[in-house]
Amino acid sequence: MPFSQRVFCGELTPGDAGRSVQLAGWVDAFRDHGGLLFIHLRDRSGIIQVVFSPEIASAGVCRRAAGLRAEYCIAVTGEIRKRLEGTENPGIETGEIEVMASGLTVLSESDTLPFVLSDKAMTAGAPSARREAVSEELRLEYRYLDLRRAPMRDNLIARHRIFQCVRRFLDSRGFIEIETPILTMSTPEGARDYLVPSRVHPGNFYALPQSPQLFKQLLMIGGMERYFQLARCFRDEDLRPNRQPEFTQLDLEASFVDEEFLYGLIEELTVEMFAVGGIELPRPFPRMTYEEAMETTGSDRPDLRFGLRFVDVTDVFPGTGYAIFRRIIDAGGSIKGINVRGQSGRLSKNVLQNEYAKEVVPSFGGRGMTWMRAEGGRLDSNIVQFFKAEELDALRRKFEVADGDVLILIADASPRAVTSVLGQLRLHLAERLGLIPEGVFSPVWITEFPLFEATGDGGVTSSHHPFTAPDRTDFDPKNVEELLSLRSRAYDLVMNGEELGGGSIRISDRDLQRKIFAALGLDDRETREKFGFFLRAFDFGAPPHGGLALGMDRTVSMILGTPSIREVIAFPKNRSAACPMTGAPAQVKREQLAELGLLASAGTEPMRGTRERENLVDRLSWVARIGVDADERPAVEEALAWAEEMAAASARHAGMEEPVHTVAPVANRMRPGDEARRSELAETGKLLESAPEVKEGYFKVAAILE
Amino acid sequence: MDSVFVHRNQESAPPSKGALAGLRVAIQPNISVVGWPTEAGSRALARYRAVEDATVVRRLRAAGARLCGSTRMSEFGFGLKGSRAGESVAGREADAELVLDLMGECRAAGLRVGVCAYKPSYGLVSRQGIVGLIPSMECCGIVSESLDVVRRVLATIAGPDEFDFSLPEEPPPDFAPAACRPASTVGVLAEARAALPEAEKTVFESALEGLERAGFSLRELTLPDFPLFPLVHGIVGSVEASSSAGRYDSVRYGLRAPGAGNWNDMYLASRREAFGTVVKSYLLQGAFFQFERFASYEDACRIRARLISGMDLLLGQVDLLALPAPGSEPSDGRLREVCAPYAGAMFANVTGQPVLCLPAAAPGGGGIQLAGARRGDARVLEAGERIMNLLRRD
Repeated sequence: MPFSQRVFCGELTPGDAGRSVQLAGWVDAFRDHGGLLFIHLRDRSGIIQVVFSPEIASAGVCRRAAGLRAEYCIAVTGEIRKRLEGTENPGIETGEIEVMASGLTVLSESDTLPFVLSDKAMTAGAPSARREAVSEELRLEYRYLDLRRAPMRDNLIARHRIFQCVRRFLDSRGFIEIETPILTMSTPEGARDYLVPSRVHPGNFYALPQSPQLFKQLLMIGGMERYFQLARCFRDEDLRPNRQPEFTQLDLEASFVDEEFLYGLIEELTVEMFAVGGIELPRPFPRMTYEEAMETTGSDRPDLRFGLRFVDVTDVFPGTGYAIFRRIIDAGGSIKGINVRGQSGRLSKNVLQNEYAKEVVPSFGGRGMTWMRAEGGRLDSNIVQFFKAEELDALRRKFEVADGDVLILIADASPRAVTSVLGQLRLHLAERLGLIPEGVFSPVWITEFPLFEATGDGGVTSSHHPFTAPDRTDFDPKNVEELLSLRSRAYDLVMNGEELGGGSIRISDRDLQRKIFAALGLDDRETREKFGFFLRAFDFGAPPHGGLALGMDRTVSMILGTPSIREVIAFPKNRSAACPMTGAPAQVKREQLAELGLLASAGTEPMRGTRERENLVDRLSWVARIGVDADERPAVEEALAWAEEMAAASARHAGMEEPVHTVAPVANRMRPGDEARRSELAETGKLLESAPEVKEGYFKVAAILE
Repeated sequence: MDSVFVHRNQESAPPSKGALAGLRVAIQPNISVVGWPTEAGSRALARYRAVEDATVVRRLRAAGARLCGSTRMSEFGFGLKGSRAGESVAGREADAELVLDLMGECRAAGLRVGVCAYKPSYGLVSRQGIVGLIPSMECCGIVSESLDVVRRVLATIAGPDEFDFSLPEEPPPDFAPAACRPASTVGVLAEARAALPEAEKTVFESALEGLERAGFSLRELTLPDFPLFPLVHGIVGSVEASSSAGRYDSVRYGLRAPGAGNWNDMYLASRREAFGTVVKSYLLQGAFFQFERFASYEDACRIRARLISGMDLLLGQVDLLALPAPGSEPSDGRLREVCAPYAGAMFANVTGQPVLCLPAAAPGGGGIQLAGARRGDARVLEAGERIMNLLRRD
């Protein structure tokens, strides 16, 4: 059956009734009505019902149709007709029509599926086949099947639309897409590099890019003026739930521009991207300096979908009689608080004192918490008697207190600790009290980051990277205090408390760049070693330039509202940075390592486990963690030779039967009782009595790490 | 020579009531009794004392049986090297002994001392509290001079156990002789007969004559896959054993080799000392199948499916099967020699069938195995009793 005339299942409408069509796709579901067979045929565009009726299709077709099973790949010819009244299925887009099949070709058969794919009921009102949630690990192992499911298909199509939107928009603004190398030099991004050994240059390594930072700046020096790339970046970071070792970022750089140009451009682009998901973002995006964000929300990526901004009340208590506050103020500390409006009903004295003051705040690193509840026109608290009337009045004014409000104050000798604790508390309260509105998107630009951070040894380090332009150039590179007061021309785009991306105006003046390196304590020789090729380019007329990078996986995930970024990536790694489908990362042959010169470069001792792999007994002794004595080796070798014979024989004799793992039906019993509890044997210490080594009520073991 | 018992119950026996009142039952030290040494014959459990009673122990006690002690056993009960299983019964120190049957050990033990040995259907007897090695094939067997005692002990210990997650919910069948249609036809597998060395053939034939004299009609049957039982047992058993033995980590019990600087070395060194050469060879075979030839486990499970349905088909044609008794082990040997005598016994562990091993089916004759369909325990025991009665009359 040629596919030239093929039409798509989901695109057929009642207007096509009477038309002869050719379809191809997968059997989503089937239903046998004794002689009359119905199937849901699915392709990427959607699902349509196909009917095999002995009145229309030949006996041969009907016989082949009776053999169809879920996910067989088939081609069908037939005629569209309107469904009989009362048999429409509103659950699928083509529910008013069906195809009366006259021809059927089974293109390929499918094994039994590891999980059910179909989620569309075949008749109106019937429950769909998919009842149980499938584990993500299984979905990732059979990702190609998972992709056949509507949510994954829709996510990838939406991702494509968003990427197309980016390309179209940037093209219309004169940006050109340029690829930068994947095999490159280590760049100064702060995370660990993935290294690729060079066979031709033994002992030398390429690094996979953490971002195309240096290349995009070189493209500006190369006169490309406006560049973008949907770039794959790699970071070997510690495992975190919503991170991938490789990810896609929109990388963008422009010459002869300033911050305002970039804000306008990115805001327009962001509005268009979110519009693909049906989300309207208001422009212009508000801006907030880093300092303001930290002082009022305790975070440099504030979630502005709700209030709970901090109010500084240190100046309310200069001569207070409350000794704790007075000591903190005398030590140069601060007192800040938030007004949780109208929540006194849910934040009772008991909750505030026993839960928040005793447990929640200490878990955030706080040393104490003061609470007050506004009731009957006055503030009530367990320590209210220590405060003067004018102090309470000042609090009421500053927090604009109304009855039903709850004030939470954090005081600490370290102002940084105050904002840190309050910042965590702010998010905790918003979550717990349901103060975060659904369907609201609050973008904000965070600006004026500190250019440098203090290092432990009295020096400074770049907060962003050393090519970020400072807000002024007349500083003394030896004056640490002045360096720490410098702001950078960097900006982050934050949405709902998540950083979508960030960038900066870069340094284009070589003298200024030298001054920055001097401030970082790098001399000429060191800078040449680290960034030589890059700095040399600035000697040839570098244009002023700046840019930004947006995390596209995270942005798409937010637009589509998926629970994790893995839902918007076709073949992601799991939480352990591994791929359950391919088995990557995997061990390689020792010869391969030798060829790359890696056996020599790892020092005199080969990697743990590699030498053991040479010999079968050593290899198995290592994986099974069972040491084998020299005098046992002949016996073990004989057993393994026998095992090899058995393996060959089992392959010869294995038939097609379903494997049996147990001869009795499996009971799947649960331990009686519905609560997790500590075993009595553990409580009484009986469990420990036969242990070879015990320490303070625990089993004692050797160190886990070498 | 070592004593038969490694532990004797010193408590005085109070007068008891119940189905097994006054019955003395010996166990092996792989069955947990609170406070009893439970080393399962392995240094991997050195100095281990049980902290909970096994389900079979609770049931035996509740029925009035007296646990008289535990007998010397091989490492994890795999093979009979160093084991004194069965001798408590032969020496009249116990009326019954529970012996774990991994590949036929319980049957071989009974044969060795000339008493009956019975491996029940898989899935009848709880394994909770029993130090096992091959979860899908091992079964707590019963050695006794009297099949009536075997039946009463079985009826006591059988049945679902909320603490054994692998035991099916099936209620235990009625084991009473009256509850079954007595067997009349007995099948003899041509392949099992053919595998016998010449010297043992006459012994088996005389046992078969005994069956005929007891009124059974014999039929020759064929199961071409019969020689594959040891193959399936070898692969599935060693894979399961190597997984089961993962728990012997020298943390919660057993030996800890001194001086290990880290976790990996602690494992390697402790487990080097913990396992004997035979068990170690077996565990490394399991590791070989899991890490080097993983397809072979799945292949073996496919063959296992074929063997189970093959046996089922045969037992649709005859009531019971008669097979030669297992051979005897060399006193010292490597893994292959240890397993070899059980080649004709492993089928029952692979399929989960009940098997009765009688020391002789005819006066002066050799031993024989009588196997039934899974959960057809009553018929097997009833047939065995008829043969025993005949022997007694003779």
